Amino acid sequence: MSLKKPSIWMAFTLVILCFFVLFVVYPLFLIMYQSVVDPVNHQLTLDYFTKFFGRKFYWSTLVNSFSVTICSTLLAALIGLPMAYLLRSYKIPASKYVNILIVISYLSPPFIGAYAWIQLLGRNGFITQLINQLPGIHFGGIYGFAGIVLVFSLQSFPLIYMYVSGALKNMDSSLNEAAESLGCGAFDRVRQIILPLVMPSLLAGSLLVFMRVFSDFGTPMLIGEGYKTFPVLIYTQFMGEVSTDDHFAASLCVIVVAITLFLFFLQRMMAKHYSYAMTALKPMQPVKAKGMEKIASYLFVYGVCFIAMLPQLTVIFTSFLETVGGAVYTGSFSLMNYENTLFAKDNSSIFNTYAFGLAAIVFVVVLGILISYLTVRKPSMLTSLLDTLTMFPYIIPGSVLGIALLSSFNSGLIVLSGTALIIIISLTIRRMPYTIRSSTAIIGQISPSVEEAAVSLGASEFTSFRKVMVPMMLPGVLAGAIMSWITLISELSSSIILYTQSTSTLTVAIYAEVIRSNFGNAAAYSTILTLTSILSLLLFFKLTKNEDISV
Amino acid sequence: MSVSIEISDVIKKYQDNTVIKGLSLSIKPGEFFTLLGPSGCGKTTLLRMIIGFNSIEGGTIAVDGNVINDIPVNKRNMGMVFQNYAIFPHLSVADNVAFGLKQRNIPKDEQKKLVEEILDVVKIGHLKDRMPTQLSGGQQQRVALARAIVIHPQVLLMDEPLSNLDAKLRVEMRNAIKSIQQKVGITTVYVTHDQEEALAVSDRIAVMNDGVIQQVGTPKHIYQRPYNRFVSHFIGLSNFFDAKLTKVNGMPAVDFGGYVEAMTNIDTTILGDEWENAPVMVAVRPEEFAVAKDGEGLEATVLSSVFLGISTHYFMRLADGKDVEVITPSDANAILPDGAKVKLRVLPQRINVFTADGSRTLIADDEDGEPA
Ligand SMILES: Nc1ncnc2c1ncn2[C@@H]1O[C@H](COP(=O)(O)OP(=O)(O)OP(=O)(O)O)[C@@H](O)[C@H]1O
Ligand SMILES: [Mg+2]
Repeated sequence: MSLKKPSIWMAFTLVILCFFVLFVVYPLFLIMYQSVVDPVNHQLTLDYFTKFFGRKFYWSTLVNSFSVTICSTLLAALIGLPMAYLLRSYKIPASKYVNILIVISYLSPPFIGAYAWIQLLGRNGFITQLINQLPGIHFGGIYGFAGIVLVFSLQSFPLIYMYVSGALKNMDSSLNEAAESLGCGAFDRVRQIILPLVMPSLLAGSLLVFMRVFSDFGTPMLIGEGYKTFPVLIYTQFMGEVSTDDHFAASLCVIVVAITLFLFFLQRMMAKHYSYAMTALKPMQPVKAKGMEKIASYLFVYGVCFIAMLPQLTVIFTSFLETVGGAVYTGSFSLMNYENTLFAKDNSSIFNTYAFGLAAIVFVVVLGILISYLTVRKPSMLTSLLDTLTMFPYIIPGSVLGIALLSSFNSGLIVLSGTALIIIISLTIRRMPYTIRSSTAIIGQISPSVEEAAVSLGASEFTSFRKVMVPMMLPGVLAGAIMSWITLISELSSSIILYTQSTSTLTVAIYAEVIRSNFGNAAAYSTILTLTSILSLLLFFKLTKNEDISV
Repeated sequence: MSVSIEISDVIKKYQDNTVIKGLSLSIKPGEFFTLLGPSGCGKTTLLRMIIGFNSIEGGTIAVDGNVINDIPVNKRNMGMVFQNYAIFPHLSVADNVAFGLKQRNIPKDEQKKLVEEILDVVKIGHLKDRMPTQLSGGQQQRVALARAIVIHPQVLLMDEPLSNLDAKLRVEMRNAIKSIQQKVGITTVYVTHDQEEALAVSDRIAVMNDGVIQQVGTPKHIYQRPYNRFVSHFIGLSNFFDAKLTKVNGMPAVDFGGYVEAMTNIDTTILGDEWENAPVMVAVRPEEFAVAKDGEGLEATVLSSVFLGISTHYFMRLADGKDVEVITPSDANAILPDGAKVKLRVLPQRINVFTADGSRTLIADDEDGEPA
């Protein structure tokens, strides 16, 4: 880089840095500031924290959150781990489709699972009614702790499955064979070789599950009833109908960020301790299962897959049922739910979902390519600062980001509250870390000499970036963009805070309909969302010709 | 005690594709036995049948007379060194080596002693607490070897264990493997497609092609007396000539189309009584020529030469347009200039003569050779 002329890379770095300072650093600082400052006399105060830790009503939500999160994460691991192992080690018919179904069940937002399970196992659920027809049994429906854990573990095991399955794929079969030749039996091989080797991926997957579950508020809101978790408390303190307290909510945000930050570093440390670079010349080959092994493995795999898909099936099925006032099923089929949603006069939430999602994707892709390029190929103090800043949103729960953005741009110089832009910005920021990570991996596979060759042939640095790097990166980045798109259109936790009537999205609409007990409309909206996800996923498979997904 | 391995008529099929079609071999106790052959000829397949990772579709494999076809891998007590070493990345060097001992429920202190002993044998005692990622390729190789032999396997199997190392380390490690094998005295089956490596380490070599054994013999025998054209071509460099047999003083001689060389070791019984004028194939290694200014021999023109110190390597063209390679010891004589006309004689004691199709040798077996 010449000193005479400020390089174009420097300009990019500064512009992007400003963007993140404005929309990540400043809002977070504001939240931190609010959490320790009295709004009236502007004095430093720890009142909000003492209020929280002083009253059981408040701190018990944290305990609740930890209980459901730990239980769900453990259960998710207990389901996801064997699922990955069985599908990698046995030839199971239709395993390709099982794999796709698992991914689909993961991609739908957890609160839809919650509402679907209420349809099945709630007070008036289909299954509940069946159970209660048995003599002498009264089942009141699955709510509270059990309901939350059920929804979260089923919704999260796919993440563990994907991580572990990826790790198993990178495990060379010779490791297993070496152990076998040294006298190690089948069960011991799982315990002594496979488990330790997938442990780093298991931990990484578990951390993601933990953070997702810990910060999700839709599910406990719907199925938790009296069982209040921490994100529910944050939401009600900030958005509730009665007695909201922004400063108290801010202190809650600080607590949750502190917890996720701690977990993040804990996982980093553990991962460092146990990280092995593995690449398989010859991955494990699935073998035919025999006898009991066969029965047990088929039952487990198909059973889990079915239960995981049950919410989706329920939602799609109920979307075609006729209802009275949206809540009571008449028992006949109709398309009325679609008339009330898809073909309604005001179907802007559907349009918004696509528009915001696409806009955010464009931002994410452009910024993602630039940022990862800058941090990998033009390392400097500034770009490494940029790298750190862009990773922030990884550990900031969506609702916290929503609250921070709303507090920052509600008044003052820049007012964005209520605009589509603020939702697009929050979606962009939330997805950024994932896109940057995958783009960085893609750049890592392109030798710097390719670019050097372009420059040596007379191209300027920027031209070589545009004409050589970008086209080489694009296929990988676009594949990632499809996955981002799917996660963005199912985003709820920040949108629910940032939306207004005119900027409502599908997830927000589903949530609102469920709260209003208008299950018919909710089912139709959910089906539209699910179908969009499935079609996008199929597009992803078509483009990448790959069954493996990283989210 | 070392064991013998008897492989009888084994068959290996992958679906409809028969990769090994009835192969037999017998490996002697304590022997360093090498399977050598081009890529895809079935070496790995055969090795994995011996250890049990591959099923056997026909025939038997016996160790010391006991058929092991149905014994599971983890009960066979065979050590294997993998091409990619297969070091357990989550275990330290010592734990990697102790892994097999642990499976055998050997007491902890005994384990420790055995591990230390074997690490000293492979000369990496000082690395015992390292993690695998902190080891060089050669060191990982030594760990893999130690891990395989510490369990006192009956048989040690190695599948191209040196192919991931650089050339210099390869030579160093093959010497190490050879000397360790001699020290421990385990019957060893070694797979490679590198002929130089095979010649350097083996007691005996089986040359394979397309799932069929072409020849079994000592390195020296295989090099000097290849059983057929394939072996002659695969091992070392050979110039092939179409020639015919004639009679000189009642004895067989090779007629290269005018230039006749009398032979003393041709076994004409293979061709029957009508051997005179029978077409044959002659393989002459570059060092099996004698170069002269004139006299008897094939007319040749020097195309170019490479001086290699101990020897000089010539590329020559014969009168009929065929190109040959010739190696002469570098002596006091000047290097022949390009374009020089010379006469090439072959050394009758050393050249090999095959049937016209190259399928078997016509040289009388004088040594320890066993036909395939
Ligand atoms: N699992 C398998 N399924 C089908 N065919 C196989 C399988 N493994 C090997 N083969 C085939 O069997 C033949 C022999 O393979 P093998 O791996 O034994 O060769 P090799 O001699 O070890 O070669 P290399 O020197 O390249 O390692 C090859 O044609 C190969 O394509
Ligand atoms: Mg092989």
